[in-house]
Amino acid sequence: MNSRRPHAFLLMCCMMSSWIGGLTLPSVAAQTTQEPRQESVGKKPKGGVLLKTATGKNPISAPLLNTTVTMTISGLIARTTVSQEFSNPSEEWAEGVYVFPLPNQAAVDHLRMKIGEQIIEGQIQERAQAKKTYAKAKAKGQRASLVEQERPNIFTTSVANIAPNAPIIIEIEYQEVVRYDQGQFSLRFPMVVGPRYIPGQPQDIEEDSSSPQGLGWAPNTDQVPDASRITPPVQHPSRGLINPIALHIDLAPGMLLQNIESPTHPITLTKQETNSYHVSLQDVSTYAERDFELIWTPLSHETPQASVFTEQHEGETFLFLQLMPPTSSDSKTITIPREVVFVIDTSGSMGGKSLTQAKAALSLALSRLTPQDTFNLIQFNSVTHSLYPIARQASGSRIHEAQRYLKGLQATGGTEMLPALRQALTRPSDSEESLRLRQIIFMTDGLVGNEEALFALVQRELANTRLFTVGIGSAPNGHFMRKAAQFGKGTFTYVGSTTEVQEKMNNLFLKLEHPALTDITIQSVDSTIAEILPDPLPDLYNGEPLTVAFRTTTLPTSITITGKHGGRPWETTQSLIDAKSRGGIAVHWARQKIAQLMDQGTQKKDKTLLRQSIIDLALKHHLVSRYTSLVAVDVTPVRPEAQPLHTHGLKTNLPNGMKQEAIFGWPQTATPATAYLVIGSMLLCLTWIWSRRHHAHG
Amino acid sequence: MPDMDLVTTPPRTRVRHHMVWIVASLLFGLGSWLIGQGAWIHLKAVTAQWLLHQAWQETLTSQQPVKPWAWADTWPVGKLTIPRLGTNQIILADASGQSLAFGPGKVGKGKFSGKDSESLILSGHRDTHFSFVQDLQVGDVLTLQTLQGNWLNFSVENTAVVDSQEVTLTSNHEGGMLQLITCYPFDAVLPGGPLRYVVTAKLAARKLSLKPRLLPTPLEAQEEGA
Repeated sequence: MNSRRPHAFLLMCCMMSSWIGGLTLPSVAAQTTQEPRQESVGKKPKGGVLLKTATGKNPISAPLLNTTVTMTISGLIARTTVSQEFSNPSEEWAEGVYVFPLPNQAAVDHLRMKIGEQIIEGQIQERAQAKKTYAKAKAKGQRASLVEQERPNIFTTSVANIAPNAPIIIEIEYQEVVRYDQGQFSLRFPMVVGPRYIPGQPQDIEEDSSSPQGLGWAPNTDQVPDASRITPPVQHPSRGLINPIALHIDLAPGMLLQNIESPTHPITLTKQETNSYHVSLQDVSTYAERDFELIWTPLSHETPQASVFTEQHEGETFLFLQLMPPTSSDSKTITIPREVVFVIDTSGSMGGKSLTQAKAALSLALSRLTPQDTFNLIQFNSVTHSLYPIARQASGSRIHEAQRYLKGLQATGGTEMLPALRQALTRPSDSEESLRLRQIIFMTDGLVGNEEALFALVQRELANTRLFTVGIGSAPNGHFMRKAAQFGKGTFTYVGSTTEVQEKMNNLFLKLEHPALTDITIQSVDSTIAEILPDPLPDLYNGEPLTVAFRTTTLPTSITITGKHGGRPWETTQSLIDAKSRGGIAVHWARQKIAQLMDQGTQKKDKTLLRQSIIDLALKHHLVSRYTSLVAVDVTPVRPEAQPLHTHGLKTNLPNGMKQEAIFGWPQTATPATAYLVIGSMLLCLTWIWSRRHHAHG
Repeated sequence: MPDMDLVTTPPRTRVRHHMVWIVASLLFGLGSWLIGQGAWIHLKAVTAQWLLHQAWQETLTSQQPVKPWAWADTWPVGKLTIPRLGTNQIILADASGQSLAFGPGKVGKGKFSGKDSESLILSGHRDTHFSFVQDLQVGDVLTLQTLQGNWLNFSVENTAVVDSQEVTLTSNHEGGMLQLITCYPFDAVLPGGPLRYVVTAKLAARKLSLKPRLLPTPLEAQEEGA
């Protein structure tokens, strides 16, 4: 009998665990199978629509999207066609609305709607007019499409009257200039709009009729009046990935290469004749859930010193110049004491991999400080918190303290960026301290909807501080990274994975610790240049080229560029006689000009004048802007009047590495009390039964 | 061999006897601790509401956020009563895990001062404060006292179960709505499932209760008492 007791105990344990297992079973079943859930959901409700459903209120399947990207890079300029195929799997007529990203400097100048063999070319119109054209065609049952710009890097495609099982292909074409920095060329293609944090109070729909309404998950607020247009519904990660994407790049770098790589995706590389390459994604089932990046490195002796291109357009001459100033890596590092303010975003969207990357990068940056520097560390989510009230000397023990503080940071809550940025920009009142070189290193995914307010703050409060943005994660907001750095007179960098941290941060340290080329001016010797962009010319950090666009009547033979390098004057003369003629230079200038006008707008309340200048320019160059859209309409109505049209906001993936719960979490509305009570009681019963048995037999 | 067995059995039994008692007391201890934890959650939920009612009275008088206890991270922003069920609960400013232990919380940025255009989402634990939600029926009247001391009546329009993985929780675009959210199913033992039970109520007869006659506000009741 003695020998049977352990067996009895084991048996009871098994019974107990299976009982607990049984109790958990309903929730487990609900999680793993879809059908029973819908049944259980169906029983209780008495109908009616509840919360704003991100998934669309109607049970009719939404259109499916399939994207193919074809890129041709020749030298410094890339032309890309994004082909979006909308297919309608339902039995009803559909309108699909898809919010998607493009590179933040993309000059979108073509739209084509393809229905079978038929191709309809899109027209550029003022945004309100284009909307009307589209709405009219939509109501008449004609196939129509509309491409609008919400942010320089967020666009919306609307496609009306997609027939059941008859796909419509929308082709969007844009041009951009590739980035050249520290000896490498690179190009980023964003694939998904990461969920933006929307600050402010929701606006009343009645009071708010002037603001654009979208199909997004966020209501428009006083701080982000178009929030509903930049927050596309998100597919829950447990439902699998959607929106397959294919990528084909023809790369003609115009020089011999040492290396081509993509830190974000595995690629297939085919070398073609005459020094050109074909790049495609290795994985045939790739989905739009992270940025794609391609990096190509020329052989060191091949690195160009200057590239000059020109184009004649409607009686004007446009010129593009990229010039390498003498590399300053051989020059001395900065010797003036610095005040470095580190800012780290610890909002919910930074959860998981992103925070790990940001911590690694920041930790590395902390270790670069010297005792003559001062520093502070600020974290922000819904609230802002700083390690010290004001910057402190970077002594060994303080660095150690900062490293410990950094280690303990967790990602949760909202992205209230304004207070954090304001605190970082606050200068020390001590006049001696204010002589220091002030640098802010801002680590964030930039996933906010109130970019303009942030830019305005930087512009207003910058003074002698310099702002360097570090874009973290798989789908950072590139527009924020570039523009915040531009207004902050610093530079931007991206850290997309933990393996990249070391290299990317080292490149940033070169920029932070070497003197920049400042006060740059350009003069022509023999004729006047009507306009030089960007205006003012930015400071250049270690490894950055000077990239400018000119508009002029007659082409000067040469120009003189002057500046200051570490306080000493610097000058160079560039001949323009050899400028090669090529297409796209006028469009590049126009896109730069629109960006400049938009920048001026961040500080102005009254934007009517700027708006009109942008519209004129965009219409002339066939460009999509905040105020102009491309619209394509098929003349023949296809949808019978009697049949309704269902509008669907297309879902997007959650960016790779993000956690749904950290961003869209519903409150946890059950306590473990019952589980505690049940398991506790079982344990007591078990002890009681067991001791009884023991007494009986013992 | 049986002899050998007889000789060696007594010490082995003693050891086993000890082992059994150690394991039994461990199990007993663990069981009691778990029951204590479970009871503590309920005790906290009830006691906190008592303190919160006091803080709410002060809030109405001072028109300032009042912390119910010195180390609290949250404060009362409203009072919810369901006359038919005799429910009377103080609503907290947020719906974080810490706050929901003490009372139902306001979700997101919704506010309610009494305008038709505003909406409010409240959430609470299905097994403590919001266990009454399962008894709500269409037509039931929910009464909400705002920070301004106004009483607003809502009537339940519908109830439904939603999947939190399918539906995004966001402030409602439609005004004049009060929604109560809690976990579902109500009798599940383990927390953390994806389903939520949502009760939607619509603002009714707003003007009627602006100057309370039949239902004295706690403020008036207090004055009368004093």
